[in-house]
Amino acid sequence: MSAAAKERLVSLAVFAALAGLWQIMSRVYVVEAQPGEPMIPGWQILFTRTFLSLADYWGGGFGVPTVADGAARTYLAATLSLLSHLAFTLARLCVALALGGGAGFALGLAVSWSRFTRALVEWPVHFLRALPLLAMVPLFQLWFGATFLGQSLFAAYGIGVIVFAATVNAVRNVPQIYIDNARLFGASRFALYRDVILPAILPAMRSAALLCLAAGWSAVLGAEYLGAQTGLGYVIVYAQQFAYLDRMFLVALVLIVCTSASFRLAQTLFARWLVWAPPSMRA
Amino acid sequence: MTSQRMIEFVHVRREYRRADGAHVTAVDDVSLIVPEGEFVCLIGPSGCGKSTLLQLLAGLDAPTSGSIVLKAKEIEGPGPERGMVFQRDSVFPWMRVIDNVEYGLKCRGVRAPERRRIARDYLARVGLTHVEGAWPRELSGGMLKRVAIAAVFANGGEVLLLDEPFGALDYVTRRQLHDVLLALWDTPGATRRTVLFVTHDVDEALTLADRIVVMHSGRIADDIPIAAMRPRNDDTLATPEIIAIKHKLLAHLGLQTKGAHA
Repeated sequence: MSAAAKERLVSLAVFAALAGLWQIMSRVYVVEAQPGEPMIPGWQILFTRTFLSLADYWGGGFGVPTVADGAARTYLAATLSLLSHLAFTLARLCVALALGGGAGFALGLAVSWSRFTRALVEWPVHFLRALPLLAMVPLFQLWFGATFLGQSLFAAYGIGVIVFAATVNAVRNVPQIYIDNARLFGASRFALYRDVILPAILPAMRSAALLCLAAGWSAVLGAEYLGAQTGLGYVIVYAQQFAYLDRMFLVALVLIVCTSASFRLAQTLFARWLVWAPPSMRA
Repeated sequence: MTSQRMIEFVHVRREYRRADGAHVTAVDDVSLIVPEGEFVCLIGPSGCGKSTLLQLLAGLDAPTSGSIVLKAKEIEGPGPERGMVFQRDSVFPWMRVIDNVEYGLKCRGVRAPERRRIARDYLARVGLTHVEGAWPRELSGGMLKRVAIAAVFANGGEVLLLDEPFGALDYVTRRQLHDVLLALWDTPGATRRTVLFVTHDVDEALTLADRIVVMHSGRIADDIPIAAMRPRNDDTLATPEIIAIKHKLLAHLGLQTKGAHA
């Protein structure tokens, strides 16, 4: 067996052991949060009753009736419900990543572009950076209410701050020799940024991207806790009000899968962009 | 060879203020004329201002006073008529070898097929045809230097500035690269480029230069023409005149030599 296959086997075994441990704990610790709601729901509950109960959050459509209209819980409605709320969360995350990432990156580059753009951008953005994200929650709530835009902007703000700082720092660390070399070859400022600065900061931006993905997920879910009517964050908060521990746990599991997948996607993308770099910069 | 002046340093001075507040004069009233096509080696102990002089000529730095004139035009910033090879690796790691060699031509708007043809030509001349599609990380230090040299020659600059380009390479590689450089410089039928080559290696200077300019404490301490025939080898560099020059150079560098003349 190859070393890689062995490692995979060990990982799988640990995974199975954790799942087994959870199951054992559910049998040993049988305390209930409320009648019929165990503190530690076993897998046999999670994948049947709990999953079906997600149908409660189905808003209707595709000819699948909602529980609120008196329909029975079905696996189809539960699946559609889960997917639709996941889609809302993902949409907020994508809008936040695009707005926050784009703005943070552009402003970060502006700091080094010219003296004028630096004077324009640096001071105000550093001022904004100093405001803690969570301290801005009441402000965002009053400004935007519980709207899709407000929730996305809140997360975008958290992402943008990270990307801005990372971009400024990465550009500052580009080896002077590459910049000198490009200037000696006659590169215009635009060409210098396109051909030298952007590729040179890519390895540093890779770690920034992973950081802001994590921050983005947190911020989007946090925003959804605050009065959203859609999204996985909404499902969790709604479940919490009725002490539906099993639903919260199931959604948390779904989130783990999704965030892991998003990290994997980002890593794959950067690995492709960084084919030129030594392996230590790519992983 | 023509004697038209290519580069002229006119009372060039470059002063720095160090972090501790001390004034440092890196280049102190240097005046120097370099004719077109000449291969000049700048030699001197470290800190003598030779690299600063090259940076000024490259346009990466500006003199505190005085001026540097290139073909009757004063230098203001870098330009494609001057190419530079550094001691540290300057080849862009994110571009394939051939794209690195083409980069200067690309910046100047040369069309893709034309610049590819030129780049291939120079890659062949430095013996790197087989790695044109490779990433720089796959190349050795000596090969990277060949890429850098091919790139500046491909860019067509009339003036080539080399700042201790082979300083970090092993002896064998260095000698191979001397041949590569001289073959490119002295291509039959082509105009010789004007070269300023900074080194602290006396033998390297004697192998390459038409003329050796010695710097000391920011000033020009000596200016010695080297009349040895080309191509040079260990035998043609073993004449009494050359050996006398070698002793002189070593003395300039502060090294004691046995049987030194004068």
